[in-house]
Amino acid sequence: MDTKTTPIIMRALLFTILLVAFAATAFAQTTTGTVSMSATVSKFVEFNSGGAITLSGNSGGGITTDGVVDNPLAASINLGELGPSNTNSFVTASVPLKLRSNAAYVLSMSATVTSTGSTSNKIVNTDVGFGLGSVTRSGTGVNTGGSDTNATSGDPTLAGNGSVNAGTGRYEYTAVKSNLSAFSASTTALNGAFILNAVPRSNNNGLTVPAIFAVKPQFYENGSTTVSVTFTVTTP
Amino acid sequence: MNLRFVISANCFCLLIACAATTISAQALDISSGGQPTITGTIGGSVTGSASVLNNLVVTINFGEVSPANTNAIVKVVVPIGIRSTQPYQVSVSLAGLGNANPQAIQASDIGFGAANIRAMGNQSQVCTLSSHIFYPPFNNDPASTVTIAANGRVTYQSSLSNIAGATVILSGPRLKKTNGPNRGTNDGYIFDAIFAITPQFFAAGVSSATLTFTISAGPNVPC
Repeated sequence: MDTKTTPIIMRALLFTILLVAFAATAFAQTTTGTVSMSATVSKFVEFNSGGAITLSGNSGGGITTDGVVDNPLAASINLGELGPSNTNSFVTASVPLKLRSNAAYVLSMSATVTSTGSTSNKIVNTDVGFGLGSVTRSGTGVNTGGSDTNATSGDPTLAGNGSVNAGTGRYEYTAVKSNLSAFSASTTALNGAFILNAVPRSNNNGLTVPAIFAVKPQFYENGSTTVSVTFTVTTP
Repeated sequence: MNLRFVISANCFCLLIACAATTISAQALDISSGGQPTITGTIGGSVTGSASVLNNLVVTINFGEVSPANTNAIVKVVVPIGIRSTQPYQVSVSLAGLGNANPQAIQASDIGFGAANIRAMGNQSQVCTLSSHIFYPPFNNDPASTVTIAANGRVTYQSSLSNIAGATVILSGPRLKKTNGPNRGTNDGYIFDAIFAITPQFFAAGVSSATLTFTISAGPNVPC
């Protein structure tokens, strides 16, 4: 190949390469495309009223603001007369609670008891019995195999949960976490496994448990008493 | 080597290139079909090109899908552009989303369907002898086919669980009039890939998946 021919060949080859490259660029076609997706599920818990409150053994009083199932719990109860003129064994309020979660939960409670009396005979937090009743997991979509741990001793009016103090004569709730003195600070009352399987929020099922409060009428110092209870549910 | 031989060889190369051009022009193309949209989300988003001249690369973040999202459904519509000068088919394959916890998001929890094929413009080929066919069960808007199973969980007419390997969702006749190799804004068709997820009491966590859409030669149907 002579020296004159070489540049011509090189130019022709370069032209060919450029043409092919241009053609490849101009296609701009592809046969695949991608759609990447992600979603986040955060821990979720819901606490509501489990339904109407039951008040029994009361003399006077009544349910001022009742619980409404699946609505936020903001109940108000007047326990009525708690002096000896009330001859019932106990004044008992059973407040249904309803919990729903997609993760393990902890139900805590804190309570304050304030009375107008000035002596040790006024109603104090140890005089208000408390316990959580039977836990129910039922209904479509509920994790019925999940277990729960009730830290309280159940219905405070059960014979095994309290008795008259032989020394003072005052009735006392003696079982573990059976009166509100155990909840002067936020304290775990119930905990357990996730409550609902993968079902939409429109599914109304969940875990229900009654919170039972009881006061035994006694010769308390006269006056009025206010009990305030706050429930908190978390997913640690 | 003489000059005549070299020029002949070059001409041959050019012919090969031209032939390749012709072959490629008969090929198939998939692209963005426009701006994707998302509704019902809390903290989610969807990104993708609004131009039908760009490749299909879409990222969907459904956001929060626990019951903390009180919307009935999170829905994403992804327009997909397709072009071909021959009968075609579109298939989908799925990667990811292998949650071991059955209460976590599963493939069956993400509704997936395809619908609403429409011409891009006046260079789209209108065929009268064959139709563009969305394959069942994918021929639906999953946001409109929500049902509750006996166990309380949401189901859809079709979902990502219906994808097994490369699963054909659409096929039909030629899509563009011209044989030109370039993507135009008016020379193909667009269909919607629709995704839906209902917020539920899923087990907590982050889930992800990738879908690959592929266009290839389809059943040999007349135009």
